[in-house]
Amino acid sequence: MDSTQLMKLRESSGIKIIEIKTDLSSYAASDLRKVLEGLLVEKVDRVVVNLSEVSHINSTAVGALVGVAKRLRQSGGDLKICALADNLTRTFNLIGASSVLEIYESENSALAAF
Amino acid sequence: MAKADIELKIPSAVFYIEPVRAFIGNLAQSLGFPRKRVADIQLVLDEICTNAVHHGSANAAVGVKLRIEIDAHALEILVRDTGSGDAKRKNWLTHERLSEIEANRSPSSESGHGIFIAKSLSDTHEMQSNEVGGTDVRVVFHLLKSSNTEL
Repeated sequence: MDSTQLMKLRESSGIKIIEIKTDLSSYAASDLRKVLEGLLVEKVDRVVVNLSEVSHINSTAVGALVGVAKRLRQSGGDLKICALADNLTRTFNLIGASSVLEIYESENSALAAF
Repeated sequence: MAKADIELKIPSAVFYIEPVRAFIGNLAQSLGFPRKRVADIQLVLDEICTNAVHHGSANAAVGVKLRIEIDAHALEILVRDTGSGDAKRKNWLTHERLSEIEANRSPSSESGHGIFIAKSLSDTHEMQSNEVGGTDVRVVFHLLKSSNTEL
């Protein structure tokens, strides 16, 4: 099964929003990277990743988010994360990704931060 | 609870990690681990299986083997892979390679966090070469001595 079907793309004021509706183990993390890299090909520069429906994320998925955020910043854009469950926040903090990525409580606050 | 062993073998593909993660979560919950600790166990299992599939599965037909031991006090997981197939570093986790991974890991790294997570979240973490040319990773989670017992 292709988990990209569980990654819904929307747009608000020119900002792409990816709403993830699956847990992010390595299989789905690979699909997340494909979706994010597809946005880079489309020259999208502002992305919000909404993780409100995600209850598990591994370091492969966090690495994909960090990697794409770094690439977007090189061209003046950014990738922001929102709506993390407590255990996801713990994983981001453990890896140290919370110091690299901008993380917001809600999608609206992430959008407003651009 | 009487001691019990469970053995699983999964194909060397990340697709099969998610159902194993779900299984270990249900098992840990049934054993009485607190909710947050169940999430830790699932994350550690995910990370060590991902490493085994990505780095230790040159012989994909053999797959990745898991041995799970449970008793009244602990949950122990052993993940066994068959090696990278690279003659220069057949056992993908040599001490030199481990040191290199740990030295290069930073918050902005896109990879290399899996071992750190497994070490940080388990009560015991051991890695060693096995007789089939791969790596065995063993982690233990103590039911009563869990480092995080918050519900």
